[in-house]
Amino acid sequence: MTLFNVLIVTVACLLGVGLYGLLITRNLIKIVVVLQLLVKSVVLAFVVAGKVSGHPGIGESVAATIIVADTIVAVVALALAVQVRIRFGTLDIPKISSLRG
Amino acid sequence: MNIPMFTLLVGIPLVSSPVVYLFGRLTTRAQVLTRQGWIVRLLALLAVVATWFPFINLWLEFQARGRRMFFNIESIWLQLDGISFLLAAMVLTLGTLAILFSGRYMAGDFGEEKYYAMLLAMIGLMIGLGCANDLFNLWVWFEAMAVSSYLLVAFYREQPGSLEAGMKYVVQSAVGSALALLGIALVLAQTGTLDMDQIRLMVGTMDLNKAGLLAAGALFFIGFGVKVAMVPLHTWLPDAHSQAPSGISAMLSGVVIEAGLVAMLRALSTLTGFALSWGWLLLAFGALNMLYGNLLALQQSQVKRMLAFSSLSHIGYILMGLGIALVSGQPAGAQGAAFHLFTHMLMKGLAFLAVGAVMYALFHEQGIHRPLVAHDLNGISTRYPWVALSLSIALLALGGLPPLAGFMSKWQIFVAGFQSGNGWLMGFVVFAAVNSVISLAYYAPLVNRMYRRVTATSVKKGSASISWTMQLPLLLMALAVVVIGLFPSLMNWLTEPAGAALMSIFR
Repeated sequence: MTLFNVLIVTVACLLGVGLYGLLITRNLIKIVVVLQLLVKSVVLAFVVAGKVSGHPGIGESVAATIIVADTIVAVVALALAVQVRIRFGTLDIPKISSLRG
Repeated sequence: MNIPMFTLLVGIPLVSSPVVYLFGRLTTRAQVLTRQGWIVRLLALLAVVATWFPFINLWLEFQARGRRMFFNIESIWLQLDGISFLLAAMVLTLGTLAILFSGRYMAGDFGEEKYYAMLLAMIGLMIGLGCANDLFNLWVWFEAMAVSSYLLVAFYREQPGSLEAGMKYVVQSAVGSALALLGIALVLAQTGTLDMDQIRLMVGTMDLNKAGLLAAGALFFIGFGVKVAMVPLHTWLPDAHSQAPSGISAMLSGVVIEAGLVAMLRALSTLTGFALSWGWLLLAFGALNMLYGNLLALQQSQVKRMLAFSSLSHIGYILMGLGIALVSGQPAGAQGAAFHLFTHMLMKGLAFLAVGAVMYALFHEQGIHRPLVAHDLNGISTRYPWVALSLSIALLALGGLPPLAGFMSKWQIFVAGFQSGNGWLMGFVVFAAVNSVISLAYYAPLVNRMYRRVTATSVKKGSASISWTMQLPLLLMALAVVVIGLFPSLMNWLTEPAGAALMSIFR
């Protein structure tokens, strides 16, 4: 297996783990971790995409930007999780759902 | 120093956002200028009013040139076409009125300065989103807009409902934007560029892997579709729209989901050759959105939640208009969709702000935080005649009663469907018309409550008055809904270039 194939398989695996994790995770902090996994697979996908298309510069610069943007989202999500822990006393998702319909 | 107009259009809201925040800190926390909250409100209002100046200037230039314009901020190239102007006009109209309305509504709330700072940032980012001409650039605007809206949805952080809604919104949007990014990566892998015009050219002329492009399109649909609230991906919307402060509910429903739609259309338009498939998909999602939104709205007792579900059904009409345009290849449907985007912004913005005014008078002034349910509206016309009048106009227009604006824009979409001569499209139009009638079943009873029921006890107890800064935006929008309904051609200056631009990117 070439390095390229390894990378493609890694992207697919990370994506699969991320999506599966979203389905089964019930803890807010863990959900943020799973989201990070999902985005990291996309970052890797961009590096691979840049390489495949013969413009590695584009892929790499985009990947760096995504890491920054994604960190902001993670910070916001974690800040909300902190507030949830303070108001609800739990991070378990089934215990904090009250809005229905 | 000579700053280009375009930089001003995006720059004024973005730069004023931290300025407003700093002034807010000085006035509320640092005790330098105590009890001077009006400075923050005035600054925010001035910033958004000042943004109209570059907008009008650029519009005149656009009119004179008659074709899309390109601008650069350093090395980033952006474009201004009909769609950009439509989105910018919607964002600025509703943004100005929502900031004016929020002046009294949010006065004295903890973190008021953050509210205006994030709102201004969101306004600037949405204008930028409409102008992106590069797939990744589009995503960056989209994500930044999303982050500012997360914070605004969870603004009342001491309330469990807001936190829960905010958390749902963050998680679902984040997954959506990750999937949209994966789509962009697929396009990059095949074409080696992110510039939309170049991608369009390469997809049209070169022999690329069809399956890869279709997969990218599907990812755009799902990824951006979360923000547009297409039906299986809508679950964040009713919570977020009903739990946010009313000014933000109006912005979310009136322009943020529409900005998501613009992002989706721009991304999809790069994959030329599949326009017909996207058209049918949009029609199918549109029909699903209408039916689901209407059926769920019928069951709601909370007014803001009902309005949130009605947003789902109105997005359905817009998707249907776009679908008709793509399937038939005629610009009429796209123009109708652009018109409905604008009228929906007015009607739904007005409805959320009017409900907000009632909540302010009945609950907020008494320090109560609870959702407004339908029977709280009983007989409010006696105490708040202007608010009741504008809410009634908004609800009836949303229900599509002639001669209000909502009827005219739906009508334009329906006519486009019939003129296409395609039996399937006509079937979709009939379905939409039936849905429009169903929707009256939840709008009309509210109007009845306001005018014909005995005044509710909550109205008698909470006799707070509603100041003119809250009533003025309501009356202006109500007037606009009536005038646009009577003279729909008044909006052609905005909808015609938007429809034409939509058709030209989906050649």
